[in-house]
Amino acid sequence: MILPVLSSLMERSIMKITIQLRGSLVKYFQGEKERTVEVPDNCTAEEALRTVGIDWTAVKNFGFVAVNGKRVMIYDHLKEGDELKAYPKISGG
Amino acid sequence: MKRLKFAKSKCIGCQLCAQVCSAMHEGEYIPSKARINIESYYDKGQELKYKDSFCILCGICKKQCPVNAISLEEHITVDHDLCIGCGVCERACPKKVVRIRDEKSYICDTCNGDPACVKICPQNALTFE
Amino acid sequence: MTMLGYQNKVLRVDLTKKGAKTEPLRMDWAEKYIGSKGLAIKYMYEELKPGIDPLSPENKLFLTTGPMTGTPIPCSGKLSIAAKSPATGTMNDCSIGGHSALQIKYAGYDMIILEGALKEPGYLLIEDGNVQFKDAKVLWGRGSHETEMLLAEKHGHDHSILSIGPAGENLVPMACINSDYYRQAGRGGIGAVMGSKNLKAIVIKGTGGVKIPDIVESTKKITQILREDTLQEDNTFIYDFGTTAFLEACSDGGILPRKNFSDVTDENWTKYNGEVLLEKKVGKRGCGSCGLGCGNFLKFGDAIVEGPEYESIAVAGPNAGIDDPEAIVKFNQVADDMGLDTISAGDTINFAMEMTEKGVHDFGIRFGDKEKQIEYLKLMAKREGVGADLALGVRKLAEKYGGEDYALHVKGLEYPQYEPRGSWGMSLAYAVSDRGACHMRAYAPNEEVFAASIPPYTAEGKGEMVYNLAVFNAIKFSLCICDFWATISFERMAELMTLVTGKEWTEQDMKDVGERVIHIARAFNQREGFDRKDDTIPKRLINEALQSGPAAGQKIPQEAFDDMLDQYYAVLGWDKNGIIPEDILCRL
Repeated sequence: MILPVLSSLMERSIMKITIQLRGSLVKYFQGEKERTVEVPDNCTAEEALRTVGIDWTAVKNFGFVAVNGKRVMIYDHLKEGDELKAYPKISGG
Repeated sequence: MKRLKFAKSKCIGCQLCAQVCSAMHEGEYIPSKARINIESYYDKGQELKYKDSFCILCGICKKQCPVNAISLEEHITVDHDLCIGCGVCERACPKKVVRIRDEKSYICDTCNGDPACVKICPQNALTFE
Repeated sequence: MTMLGYQNKVLRVDLTKKGAKTEPLRMDWAEKYIGSKGLAIKYMYEELKPGIDPLSPENKLFLTTGPMTGTPIPCSGKLSIAAKSPATGTMNDCSIGGHSALQIKYAGYDMIILEGALKEPGYLLIEDGNVQFKDAKVLWGRGSHETEMLLAEKHGHDHSILSIGPAGENLVPMACINSDYYRQAGRGGIGAVMGSKNLKAIVIKGTGGVKIPDIVESTKKITQILREDTLQEDNTFIYDFGTTAFLEACSDGGILPRKNFSDVTDENWTKYNGEVLLEKKVGKRGCGSCGLGCGNFLKFGDAIVEGPEYESIAVAGPNAGIDDPEAIVKFNQVADDMGLDTISAGDTINFAMEMTEKGVHDFGIRFGDKEKQIEYLKLMAKREGVGADLALGVRKLAEKYGGEDYALHVKGLEYPQYEPRGSWGMSLAYAVSDRGACHMRAYAPNEEVFAASIPPYTAEGKGEMVYNLAVFNAIKFSLCICDFWATISFERMAELMTLVTGKEWTEQDMKDVGERVIHIARAFNQREGFDRKDDTIPKRLINEALQSGPAAGQKIPQEAFDDMLDQYYAVLGWDKNGIIPEDILCRL
């Protein structure tokens, strides 16, 4: 009886999101462009990236992040099922 | 024996190979005097074509030279003291690499086994293997 | 001191008298402006009297290389082509890729100046020191592609060919100059200046060379820099994707324009994105001395082009209400052949689409009409039918028919495809750019959109931001180094300048030259009567809020724009009217 209650308590503090990497950032996923990961519930984009080993402040040409196809600030919060995309800086036209 | 190899699918037509070749041998960036000449161009705007003149160490120049000025061991060497600038090597070269200039023959010497063109080729279209 | 890297020679061609002579390069100007963009503008400032008609024989074309041109310094192969612009009346300098810059330098010239005008259509053949004036009556009227093909048959594929299409011949203010079939000196009507001189093409071959100090060791150093800096992964994405990589980033970033900048983003972008387009890639090509190889040669049925680049895709695609990749590639191919700038031509057609849909004037074309879009390109190049009107460009079309509220241009140069309501600093960059609305003077999205934490919807700090970006590009394009070596630092630029010239250049020197180039470009315009009133923001951006994307609800308040302008002028030491004071002018 106790075990199912405990496990449902733990499930409430994480959520599943997809992280997609673009350009030179794919090296953080060993070349894969996309992974589904578990992150702390309601975490920020910055925190989500940290759980997969990306500290955006340490990546020299880190660009920006987008959630569900819209650019957001690095400290904006995510929700269950979100698609988080991380871009390197790009230039030219 | 190592030879120059060229993968045209990787070539971007930058001509850096000819520039560094001429720098190492002639003291200027002067592709017209280089011992390698690789270019790409659009034929009628419809097809991308390549002109790839590079020494494949076939040895035809050595065989044809009437004064035995050309030797081939790990690479081609031309003895300019013997060379009379007759142009037989230039005409015989199947890759059109050989140039006669001021009555002497100039042929790729692979920079003595460490080709500068291979080192600079940014997309590794040129290799030495 | 004598700097190496330069040829120390200018070829001055008098098209009226059909004569050519050489003169020494003004090395004192080169020491202040280096080459390419900067040097071309200095020559223009000194040689073009204010008030001349850009389509008269009094205008000149300055084809300018830099000290690095013809050396293996990566990404150094672009040519600056400058003249007074018939579209805006300001100065104009374009940057064209391909191989002509190297041929000019190897022919022995730092710069070729074209003066006067031919009495009849002709082309120039320049082979080292030999300059010939050839008849072009048979070529006149032909597309740029056919022209290049015929001249290559006659003179050889090893010759570089710069040509104009019918648009340049017909003095269309958005005519471009082409090279290598698919590279352009695109904007500001540079092709019309060439057409006004009855000059159909310039064919160049050089067999000379370029000397730099300690060449063997320097070449080894350059090889190392190529491998360690230029070819790092933050630059090499351009080899894999070209600028199609920008589509997704701009769509997510909320700055990909839709239907004549009426809104942003396009959920259909996956229909014409890099993956779709690059599936049709059959080859790769770069410019002379390039390391990165951005050119993607595509065949989409009988739509063949090296490209298309972001601007062309966005202007012919979502900004026209079109999502068909083959149509977009065809648009690019036809524009290149007709000799039309894709940005200005595309923007003008899109403007006409909106005017038609709003009932302001019926141009016979609505958003999404891909067949008419291609047909109209040809009509514009020839000034036939509705093309006679469209060839006027957005500003004059709005003056004639209306639609001022959604006419996006600055000083008569049509807007590039980055929506400033999603990146406020871009509205400043477009407004103060030296040749009208251009995205290559200060590339604001790099800091505001493609950066993780800098807020795009505020005026704060934007003056300094645009200044820094403008200085960076101004010096970079005066060396010149291509935009796509994105990671190059001021320190690296100084190192390369020292390597090539033998003179000691510092990081601060690079910044000083960059700022000086901004001043002298502005000085040219100032002398022509331009000031703050011409550094404008289109009404649409002030009055209408975006509906979609992360910037939904954003429009730019007039006060915010005014504030950004004030900041920019202040950083440069210009007065409130954007005028350069005498003490800066006399030092230029």
